[in-house]
Formats: sequence, C-alpha cells, structure tokens
Amino acid sequence: MASRKKVSELQRPLWLLTPGGLLMTLIILIPLLLAIWISFIDLDQYTLRRWVEAPFIGIGNYVESFESGLPKSIWLSVSFAVLSTAVTVPIGIAAALVTQNAYRGRALVRAVFLIPYVLPSFVVASVWRTMLQPDGIVNETLGLGSTLWLSGSNSYWTLVLVEIWAAWPFIYLMALAGLQSVDNEVHEASAVDGTTWWPKLTRVILPYLRGPVLLACLLATLNHINNFTLPFVLFGAPAPDDVNVMPMLVYVTSFQGLRFGLSAAMAVLSLVLIAIPLYAYLRAVRLDVDK
Amino acid sequence: MSAQAEAQRLLPRPLLAVFTVLLCAMVLVPLAYIVLASLNSDVGVASGEFWPSSFTAESYTKIWTTADLSTGIVNSLIVCAVTAVASALLGTTTAYVLVRYTFFGRLTILRGLVGLQSIPGTLMLLPVFVLFSSAGNYLGLTVIGTRWGLFVAYLTFALPFSTWVMVTYLRGLPRELEEAARTEGASTITILWRIIIPLSLPAIVVSGIFAFLLGWNDVLFASVLTRPETHTAAVALSFFGSAQEGGALPVYSQMMAAALICAAPVVILYLVFQRYLVGGLTAGGVK
Amino acid sequence: MRFGRAIALTGATVLVAALTACGGGDDEGGGGAGKTLNVLIGANTQYPEEFAAWQKSISEKFKAQTGAEVKFEQFASANDELTKIQTSVVAGSGPDVYAVGTTFTPTAYSTGAFVKLGDEEWKKLGGKEKFVPATLGISGPDEQNQVGIPWVSRPFVMAYNTELLKAAGIDKPATTWDELTAQAKQLTKGDQYGLAIAYKDNFDPWKFVWGMSTQAGNPLVDGKTAKLQDPTVKKAYETYFGWLTTDKVVDPAAIGWTNPQAVAAFAKGKTGYFALTTATAVNSLDSGAVKGKWAFTLLPTVPPGATSRPGNGVEAASILSGDNLLVADYSKNKDLAFEYVKLVTDQEVQLDYYKKFGNLPANAAALETLKSDPKLAPLTEAAQKSVATPFTGAWADIQLALTNVAVQTLPDLAKGPVSAATLDTRIAEAQKKAQSSLDRAK
Repeated sequence: MASRKKVSELQRPLWLLTPGGLLMTLIILIPLLLAIWISFIDLDQYTLRRWVEAPFIGIGNYVESFESGLPKSIWLSVSFAVLSTAVTVPIGIAAALVTQNAYRGRALVRAVFLIPYVLPSFVVASVWRTMLQPDGIVNETLGLGSTLWLSGSNSYWTLVLVEIWAAWPFIYLMALAGLQSVDNEVHEASAVDGTTWWPKLTRVILPYLRGPVLLACLLATLNHINNFTLPFVLFGAPAPDDVNVMPMLVYVTSFQGLRFGLSAAMAVLSLVLIAIPLYAYLRAVRLDVDK
Repeated sequence: MSAQAEAQRLLPRPLLAVFTVLLCAMVLVPLAYIVLASLNSDVGVASGEFWPSSFTAESYTKIWTTADLSTGIVNSLIVCAVTAVASALLGTTTAYVLVRYTFFGRLTILRGLVGLQSIPGTLMLLPVFVLFSSAGNYLGLTVIGTRWGLFVAYLTFALPFSTWVMVTYLRGLPRELEEAARTEGASTITILWRIIIPLSLPAIVVSGIFAFLLGWNDVLFASVLTRPETHTAAVALSFFGSAQEGGALPVYSQMMAAALICAAPVVILYLVFQRYLVGGLTAGGVK
Repeated sequence: MRFGRAIALTGATVLVAALTACGGGDDEGGGGAGKTLNVLIGANTQYPEEFAAWQKSISEKFKAQTGAEVKFEQFASANDELTKIQTSVVAGSGPDVYAVGTTFTPTAYSTGAFVKLGDEEWKKLGGKEKFVPATLGISGPDEQNQVGIPWVSRPFVMAYNTELLKAAGIDKPATTWDELTAQAKQLTKGDQYGLAIAYKDNFDPWKFVWGMSTQAGNPLVDGKTAKLQDPTVKKAYETYFGWLTTDKVVDPAAIGWTNPQAVAAFAKGKTGYFALTTATAVNSLDSGAVKGKWAFTLLPTVPPGATSRPGNGVEAASILSGDNLLVADYSKNKDLAFEYVKLVTDQEVQLDYYKKFGNLPANAAALETLKSDPKLAPLTEAAQKSVATPFTGAWADIQLALTNVAVQTLPDLAKGPVSAATLDTRIAEAQKKAQSSLDRAK
C-alpha cells in the first residue's frame, strides 16, 4: 500500500492543471486584481480618461458603499436568491425524475423543459413585463383588476416568480446528470427486494443526487445573486426600492452615476460578504472532500 | 415495456403523467404567449393582448434585415460549440487530477473555483476589456473583435463550472478500470481519452450544454468584445429590444420571433445530444 | 466507437478552423486611401432597410470624397452605448466618431475624451452658422468649450386626437398646463381618457418636471447648487401625479405604462392627448386606429397654476433633444472624422436623413426648407423653442434622482393622491443625491 502510494505520487500529472490554471489566472484573476485596485481609486467620469492617475482614496469607496444602501441591496439579493433556489430544487428534481424513464415523446418533453433556460434573460423579462402590466393578460385572466406587479412591494415577488420560471431547468439538468450515475444493479436490487417507489426514491435514488444537486443549489444561488438582466429589464432603472438588488445598484452606480470606483467597491464588498457563507456552506456539505 | 425498464421506473405512472403535464403547462403557457406575440402587431403587444386582433407572420421575414441575425447565429454556433467542447474536455482533465490525486492546495483550488463563479460579470467587464485591448496595443495581438477573444473569455468563465460538474461525477466512477490500464503501462492521456471520457459522457454533455448556453446568452461581454462581423446572436437579438427615448414602439413582435428563431438551434442541438443523457454506467460500455 | 471519434475529431478541427477564419479582420490600414473610419451609431429597428441603404450611400459618398472607408457599428440602447464609450475611453481605442443623445453630451464632455471644437474645427465642418442656433445649446458648457456637433433634432411634442377634440367642442389644443388639464377632463368619459401618460417610464417623468419648473423660472441647477426643494418642483410633481389621482383624466392602468404602452393606448383612438412624444413615433401611430385622425402640437409652455409665464420663466417647449456627434480624442483619423461629420451635416444629406427617418435636420438651411410644410410646423417650432438641460457632468444623476421620485411613488398613487409629506421626503432625498453629485462635478 505504502509503495503504491509513492508511485502514484511520483506520477501525479499535475501539469494537466496548467492550461486551466493559466487561463483562469489571465482572464479572471488578473482582471479581478485590477478591479480590486479600481475599488481603491476615485475613478469616475472626470478621471476615466487618465484612469492610471486617478487619486488613490483607500477605503473611501467602501465607506461610501455602506452609506448608499448596499447592505439592504445585499440582503434583498441574498433572500431573493435563496428563495428562488429553494423553490426551483423540488421542481427541477421532479422534472428530472419524470424524464428519466424512456417513453414515446420523452425527447420532446426534455426539450420543452429546456426552453425557459434557452430564451435570453431580456426576452424572458420583456415577455413577463408585458404579461404583468396592469392591463395585461395576467390581471385579465385572474380577474385582479389593475394590480401592480412591477411597482412597490409586489415587485419583489414578481422577481422571485420570474426567476423561478427562468432558472429551474438548471437544477433539472444537474439532477438529470446525477440520475445517470445510478447503477442498473441498484434498480434491480430494489426490484428484487420489492421496494415500493417512494422508499426507493428517498432512500436509494435521491442520495445519488446529493452531490450534483448541492452543487447546483450553490451555483444557482450565485447565479440568482448576480442576475442583472432580469431585474433590469423587468423593472427598469431606477428600480423600485423593493427590488433594488445588488447588481442593479452596482449597475446604476457604474453606468448611470459613472462612479466606477464606487461600484467596483460595492461589487468587491458583496463578493466578500457572499464568499464567507459560501465557504461555510462548502465546509458544511463537504462537497469538496472525497466520500 | 421490458422487465428491466419496469425495474428502472422511478415514479408510478399516474404521478408521472400529472407532473409532466404540470411542468409542460408551466413552460408552454408563456411560450404560447411568445408565439402569439410574434404573430401580433407591435401595438397589439404593447397594449397587453394575448390573442392577436390580427394575425401576421411578416415578423419572421422582417427580422433578417432588422439586425444581422444570420451572421449572429453562425458566429454564436461556432464560438459556443468550440467553447462547449473545449471547456468540457479541459474541465474533465482538470477534474480528473483534482479527484484522483492528493496534493497540497487541492481543497483550496476546489473552493477557489466556486469563489471564481461568484464574481459578478459587471465587475469583470472593464478589466477584461483593458486586458484584451492592451494585448492589441503592446503585443500586437488583435483580440477584440475576433471570435478567438470571445472564445477564450467564455472558455475561462465556463471552466470553474465544468470542472466542478466533472469533479462530482468522476468521484462516483470506480478506480479499477484505470488502475488495470495503468498496470498495463497506459499513460495518463491514454487513460483519460480511452477510459475516463467515454465513461463520463453524460456529465461531459451536461457541462458542455452549460458552457454552450453561457456563451449563447451572454450580451454583456459580447457587445464590447465583438465587431459587427463577429456579433453573436444574443447581440443581434438585443437590437430588437432597442427603443428610442420617447419615440417609436419597440419592435415587439420581431423580438419574439427572433427569440424563437434563436432558441431553435439550441433546442435542436439538445435534442441531438440528449440521447447521451441515459441512465446507468452500463450504458457507457463498461461491461 | 473509433469511427465516431474520427468524426468528432474532424468536427472539432472544422470548428477551430471556423473560429479563426476571418476572425481577425480588423483593418490596421496604412497610408491615405486604405484608411477606415469607425462610426458608432444607434440601431434603427423601425426602418432597418432604409438605414442600411443610408449607411451604404454615405460610405460611397465618403469614399468618393476622401478615398477612405466608413465602417458603421451600431449600439442597441443608451446603456449599451455608454458601456462602449466607457471601455473605449479607458483603453484609448475604439470608434472615431460617436453619435450620442443630447442629454448625455455633458457627461461625455466631462470625460475630456472628445475633441474640443476650436475655430479651425468649425471651419472644417463648414462653419458654426450652418447649424440651427438652438441646437448648439448643448454642445458644451460655453462657446469656447464645445465638443458636440449637432446632427439631428428630435424635439418632444404632444400628439392629439383631432376627432375626439372636435367632438368635445375643443377648437384649439391647449397651450397652458391648466388648460390641458381642463380639456383632458372634458375629454374623459366612459372608456375614453383625456391623457395618455407613461408613469412607469424611465425617461419620461423627469421631462415633465424639468419643463414645468423651467417655465416657472427654476432650471433646477444654479451653478453648483441643486434646486429641487423648490415650490415649482413640488407643484410640477403634484400636477403630474394629479392627472391620475385627483383629476382622473388618465387610464388607471397608466400607472404601469412605459412610453410604448402609452403610444399603443393613444394609437387605439380612445385618448385625447398623448403628452410626450416625438417625430419618430409617426410610424407607430399610423399603424393604429388613430391613423389620419391625429396631429402634433407644442407642449404647454405656461407653468401649472398660472395663466401666463412669470418674468423669469423660460418658454421651454421641449428639452433640447436629438443627437450630437463627438470625435474621439484618441482617434488617429481626426481629419477624416471631421470630413465625415461635415458630410452628414450638409444640407442635402440632412434632408435625405429626415425623409427616411423623420429626424429633423440640425442644419439651418435644411430646416428652413421644411418650414413650409404645415404638418411639420409644430415640430420645427418645437425644435427652435427647445431649451438645453443644465450643462453639468452631474446631470445624469439629477435626471435619475428626479425619475426615482416618480418610480418610488407609484405604489402610493395606486391608493390615491400622494400626501404632501411623502412627496416632500422623496424630493428631499432627490435633492440630496443631486447636490452630492454636483459637489463632485469638476
């Protein structure tokens, strides 16, 4: 045993990590460092052209972020993201389960399930925006008069609903991939034991999905937090206070207020604030540790 | 239905039918709205109609001149397909090393990859652009406006995700086959190519699909990293949403038609590849 | 399996080849005739074919004159354009000529990334006299520091339903805001409404507030001081919200409308006035039931609550609206850039552009020839009575703050009139934002 380990250690093909590592260093890490540096300088429309000479203001931008409503935006983003993930997981798993066994027309159903994910965010948002306008089809069908879906406190729930509609196929695809790793013998063993569907599902099948679905939860939540296009097209900028999520705030600061330094500080700060629970989650679910 | 298929059944028939119908309805009702809106007039869509007061299919002919949609679709297909293949393969090799070998910093890399996934695109846009344009200014490498530049960006953004998908999948693969091959003197590359990749096709397809869609739906990076000849479908599509301040109506029905046309190639590709999403390792040909 | 892999390999090779093919087609260009001028211009989805033809004809003319190529690049929205300007300015490379909206010109000016126009540059363009004087109002902070060259103008006007007005016994469209409210009340009955207003629009609301305040003598910015907490501003918001809540002359659904929905509502022929629109809406209006039954007229120029404009009030019929052309400072083809700008601001090209797309010329001689058309009279008059919004780098923030007051008030409006206290708090917040932005302005 000891000698075998030594051999494999000698042969570790770590060089295989270099292409990916190089790419990520060049295209993600270096720009990220640049972005962090921008968050420490007073970069705005007046200093943009000579941005290298823009004054260094230390944590000034970070202090200002806290004063300009960032904590509330982060809270909105996180609660919205967690809520959306929580609802999409059962939908996604159910969808994966119904398309696992072959039947006539399954390919078509699988394709239908993919559609919300294939439509670009701004189309999804425009569609829902016209359906949800006061004299739109939703109010008309449900007989809700001119309920406001896109202003005030309802807007938060609108954002959650539309995000769920657009994002559940992600969980579905990940769960579907997880189902493929279920060994045939597992099915056969259950059949021999005469296990009925519900215990089989919860005790035998779902554990196979744990890894992919937990990963999907994590990534889906991050995607929800960073989703900019959906709230931007649904509500426009300036957004109602109830949906002034983090990417909207960063966007408005950056591209309408032209405070690039401030917006970089906001983004970095929220990155840090998201990274802490993220790290805790990763440790807790032990996704990264071998079984 | 064979006994084996029956043994693999996960849900009782009635439940399966109910779920399928519910889920399909959830997707198809808004989809029906899109289809109807693409056949409606812009005024009709703007005033909130579901059933058009007059039908016309002329949007489907107009879209090709309103924006250069055909060039965009071709560019997107090329860039996204290469991104999908490259990121799935690179993700597989990276994940293989991370799963099968222990070394200092392994956990840090795995956690760091998720960290990279959480960086907002709006934060990265300006620095990435500066980096790419300095490659042009200082190294004489034209990156901006080329498909290569876009491909490299998408590949990198897709990589953390592809790697993680492969990590979770590869962990479930038994080691025996590789070890047998290794004792026969096979190199790591041979093992990857002959054993790992064929065995992990379902996961490779999934990570490929995600990498493909990442590129397909991106407007932010594509709009600044491309020039008219290299515009992607998403950029062309975004023109349909444009409206002048306080002026004319946006071309709603063309937007809906163009969105459907742009979704079609992806759905067709998925229909082709979904047959690899089949259950059980046995289907991969281990036995 | 082996065969399948061979196919896969071939496929991959083909794809990689396709990736490289004609990907790097950025013309470096060297010396005289081989040069390429890059122009960034807004996409035109209303008249795409005409727009492509226009680009082609300009390219040909430009090539004949200078030997150089023009390459047009289009942007989808103002946000898209801003992203491009930002990245190009930082990187010091990108389009040579930009077409930007007038209200964005102060922001562009504040970056210092565009060529300031001295006597020599104006001479290259054919002289300052060539332009309609009003259109130069938002080219720069003062005569000596101008960057924007007026290209087209799109003044805001009202559209009204001629038949509905006649039926209600109104022989002349309103010229004061109070008169407009009164007429709107007369026009509102059954499923018919007096006004179409896009309350949820992201660009419309501040224009009303700015217009009414300016007419009452408060242009919102005085040097480095924001003047939003002024009775004129409050009165403007009250009038604007009042149409919906107290006068009830607007469809209750309008609370969720953006400009396109207001266009659609007016196009159905059941609304008296469409209060904020411009020449580019003609196509959309003519595709509705209102076709042939509508006309443009000037927006009121007497502030609400008054029968005549106060002494310090300005006859602001519209914001100075349209597009300016900017030449990038980093451009290596400045001379060509000015030749291009001269070409597209010449009389003949301007008239052609008007005929194709409905944007009014900024060229004085070209506008003169259109004056004789009675249908256009309100538009040309509005173009001349347009007033520039304050020229400060902080304007984008002020505009945003003004709109935000409306956005946050919408849920309250659904319940009834907004209380004076709520409105005061929101305006105070806007004032704070506007002032802090002005404090940063250089």
